Amino acid sequence: MLKMTNLYDVSKCTACRGCQVACKDWNQLPAVIEPFTGNYQTHETTNGDTYTIVKFIEQIDDVKGIQWNFLKFQCMHCFDPECMKVCPTDCIKQTEWGAVIKDYDKCIGCHYCTYACPFEIPQYRKRQDITTKCTLCYERVEEGLTPACARTCPTGALQFGEREELLIQARERVKFLKANGFPNATIYGEKELGGLNKLYVLTDTPDKFDLPVDPKVSGNIGFWQNWVQPYFGWLIPVTLGASALSFVTSRLLANKAPAHTEGGHE
Amino acid sequence: MQWIPEYKADVPRVERFNFLARFSHWGHTVTFLLCLFTGLALFLSDAGWLAAIFGGYAGAGLVHRIAAVGLTIILAIGMVAGFKGIIAWFQDILRFGVNDIMFIVKFPLEFFGFPVKVPPQTRFNGGEKGNSMVTPTMVILLVLSGYIMWFPAIFPGGLVRVAYWTHDIAMVLGTVMVSMHAYLGSFHPGSGESFWGMWKGTVRADWAKHHHAIWYEETYGDKKDAE
Repeated sequence: MLKMTNLYDVSKCTACRGCQVACKDWNQLPAVIEPFTGNYQTHETTNGDTYTIVKFIEQIDDVKGIQWNFLKFQCMHCFDPECMKVCPTDCIKQTEWGAVIKDYDKCIGCHYCTYACPFEIPQYRKRQDITTKCTLCYERVEEGLTPACARTCPTGALQFGEREELLIQARERVKFLKANGFPNATIYGEKELGGLNKLYVLTDTPDKFDLPVDPKVSGNIGFWQNWVQPYFGWLIPVTLGASALSFVTSRLLANKAPAHTEGGHE
Repeated sequence: MQWIPEYKADVPRVERFNFLARFSHWGHTVTFLLCLFTGLALFLSDAGWLAAIFGGYAGAGLVHRIAAVGLTIILAIGMVAGFKGIIAWFQDILRFGVNDIMFIVKFPLEFFGFPVKVPPQTRFNGGEKGNSMVTPTMVILLVLSGYIMWFPAIFPGGLVRVAYWTHDIAMVLGTVMVSMHAYLGSFHPGSGESFWGMWKGTVRADWAKHHHAIWYEETYGDKKDAE
């Protein structure tokens, strides 16, 4: 099935945060008020009741002076989601069109997904003892609507549609930006981690937007999931089997030489 | 068929483990097994039935945490109140020598019931020394990685990711040692009397002399003739 996704073009974003409010509204999430930290950014990062935020990133450029970069940040809906692999209760699923969604009834708040995620996006919601994240509004999309954030965006920075079509559009836009004062403009999400089901048009390199240039699943998580979990546990049944075998053989051999074990030993 | 040798009160017996050692041992047994079975609900895939015994994943998680705190408390009590005993235990482990190596080399035959002659052993034989080194290390790793996973927000993310596989490896190695230890300390015909050492605190003097000759001579040797 065709992937359906968001394209977020930072060059059009005014950081009005309408998407943040629309997301809260649709998902019926309460306000989370964090103390002022000398930045217009509302929250340090996503949290249990805030699936998406607009980051305000200040960059000092030797030529252009201070640059203020905005970035809508939320779950990237990876094509190959690591969170889904580590979840011990299988509460994370991927829809055919690419949304990675959580069944909160099954979530046990173990945090595995948070630390497996290369972006550390799933966040803990204490009042329900679960971790939460953006759903790509799958319940809206499956009824033919666009996600709440994309629907509300007044400048057209956020669009929703077929990924292939949006990619064509993104390439055009990057070409335009490169020719008009943004030589480092790039697409983010096309190839990262084997493809993300969220596309970004950035006016500069990803590190200027607080995004990892080459995101990777931690080697610790790979070792844990690919080696320890599937194979290591077999040592336990092997030990139990050896003990059961010994239980039988030691008694059979003792019957042949009964004097050996009289009263425990010899 | 005999499961474990009968407890004989009317024969000369010597103390093997004091009350604190036995309290600590059985306290760890209960809390470790509770943690193990609740934890396996997450470690094994499709182990919902295991979680169901504890009232679902949330119930299993609660039991896991309560048992983990219990295990930590027992560990702390044992370390503080039994400090001298732990030092003595540690000193005996450090006496690892040729007799212990011989024991470990010959032990696989003994394990399956073949009669073997092993050199005299100290308070803990070669295999017990190995268990004494591995199991407590694994329990300490489980406790440390467990609290990191319980309160991930106060630790760096990289440490939490290390804790995930550390907890699993320590669980598997700990469980391997514990299941071997449980079998060898009870139903294995060659070491049956050692069960009473941990259950009642005393073992038959002749068994001690035969199985732990060096320890027996050093601890009770002068009393031997008085009997």
